[in-house]
Amino acid sequence: MRSAKAIFVKQLRDTLKNRVMLIQFVLFPAIAFVMTEFVAKPNEEISDVIFITMFAAMFAGMTPLMMPNTIIAEDKEHKSLRFLVMAGVKPFEYLLGIGGFVLVISSFVALAFATMAGFSGPELGQFVLVMILGSAASIILGATIGIFSKNQQSATALGTPIMLLFAFSPMIAMFNERLSQITSFLYTLQVRELILSFDPSSLPSDDSFSYAKPILIILANIVVIAILFVLAYKKKGLRG
Amino acid sequence: MIKMHNIVKRFGTQTVLSDVSFEVKEKEIFGLLGPSGAGKTTIINILTRQLIADGGSYSIGVTPFETGLMLDEDGLYPRLNGLENLNVFADIYGISHEKSLEALRSVGLGDAVKKPINQLSKGMRQRTALARAILHKPKVLFLDEPTSGIDPGTARGIHKLILRLRDDGATVFLTTHNMDEAVKLCDKVALLHKGVIVEYGGPAEICQRHNSIKTVPDLEAVFIKVTGVVLE
Repeated sequence: MRSAKAIFVKQLRDTLKNRVMLIQFVLFPAIAFVMTEFVAKPNEEISDVIFITMFAAMFAGMTPLMMPNTIIAEDKEHKSLRFLVMAGVKPFEYLLGIGGFVLVISSFVALAFATMAGFSGPELGQFVLVMILGSAASIILGATIGIFSKNQQSATALGTPIMLLFAFSPMIAMFNERLSQITSFLYTLQVRELILSFDPSSLPSDDSFSYAKPILIILANIVVIAILFVLAYKKKGLRG
Repeated sequence: MIKMHNIVKRFGTQTVLSDVSFEVKEKEIFGLLGPSGAGKTTIINILTRQLIADGGSYSIGVTPFETGLMLDEDGLYPRLNGLENLNVFADIYGISHEKSLEALRSVGLGDAVKKPINQLSKGMRQRTALARAILHKPKVLFLDEPTSGIDPGTARGIHKLILRLRDDGATVFLTTHNMDEAVKLCDKVALLHKGVIVEYGGPAEICQRHNSIKTVPDLEAVFIKVTGVVLE
C-alpha cells in the first residue's frame, strides 16, 4: 500500500502541473455550467438539469477512460515505469495508485455536477455512486488500453476509437432501435440512462424505470473488463 | 557478489551476447567497456531482471530493493522538480524526505532542487538520476554510461562520488566507452566486443599483458589491438 500511496501522491503533484490533463477534468463540468446558465435556465421548456446529466454521462464514459491510458503510456514513454518496477513497485500497486487517483478526482467532478444540479440528501449520494461506478468501469478499460500503448501517441490512437465507441454509441442508439439493443449491454448506456433518470423530465411517465437492471449490467461490465484487463496484463505486463 | 556464467542472449536471429562470464567482488568497481552496440546495456538489463537470458546463469547477492540503477534514459518525471522526483522513491522505500535532499546535495544539486526536470541541462538530469539511484544507499549500484554526454567538470564530480560510494561499502557495476574513466575508477574491467568478452582483469594487468603501459595504462590501445575497432 505504501507504493500505491506514493504513486497516488506523485500523480496528484504531476497532474496539478499538467494543464492539458487538468483541462480534461474541468472541461465537462465547465461546459455543463455554461449551457445550464445560458441555455437551460432562461428557457422554460428545457429542464434545468438536462445539460448537467448529459455532460456528466459523457464525462463518466470519456475522461476516466483516457486518463489512466495516457498516464501509463507517458510513464512507459519516459521510462519512469521501469524505475518504479526496479524499486520494487508491484504492477497492481502502480495501477491502484493511478486508478485510485483518477477515481478520486472523478468523484470530485461528480460532486461538482451534483452541486450544480442542486442535488442533496439521498439523491446526491445516488448520483455520485452511479458516477463512481461508471468511472470505475472506464478506469479499468483505460488501464487495459494503457497496457497496449507504447507511448502517448499510441495511447491516443488506441484509446480514441474505443472511447468514441463506448461514449457515443449509446447516444446514436437513440435514433436506431437495433443499435439501441446492442449498446444496451454497454456500461456507458446504462450509466447514461441512470444519470438521465435524475432529470425528472426524462423519466417515463408510467413509472416503469427500474434501477436494478442498469446497475447489474454496469457491474457485469466491470467484471468482464476486469477479466480482459487481467488477460491483457498477463500477456503484455507493464513493459515499455 | 555478481556472477555471470556463459550468458547468451539473442534478439531474433541476432546473437547479442555469446558465453559472457565474469565475476564482480563485493565493494569493487567493475567496468564493462566497449563501443555502442557491444551488448553492455543488455548485460545490465539481464542483471536487473528486465531481460531474460536465452542461456547461461547469473546471480546477484542482493535483493532488487538493495540495488540502485541509473540508465542512459533517466526516467525522471519531467514536470516534477528534482526533490519531488526523489520524494516519490523516498515514499516507496519508506525513508524520510530529508534523505532526498541529502542525495541531491551529494551530487552537487542543492541549488537546483526546486527546478522542474524539463528545465535542467542533461548533466543536471544525469546527476538527479544518480541521486535517485543512491537515495536508499543500495549495496549494488548499476550505472549505465554515467558520464556520457556531460561536461568534464561534472564528470569529475561523478567520479569522486562513485569512488566515495565504493569506499562506503557499495559494489559498483558501470558501463562506459571511456577508457580513461575505466582506468581511473575501476578495480576490474571486462572489454566487450560484439557480445563477446575479449579481455578481463585489472586495468593495469590487462595493459601489461598487451605491453600497453605508457605513462598511464592505455586500455584504448588494448581495445584497438584486440578488436581492430577504433572507439569513437
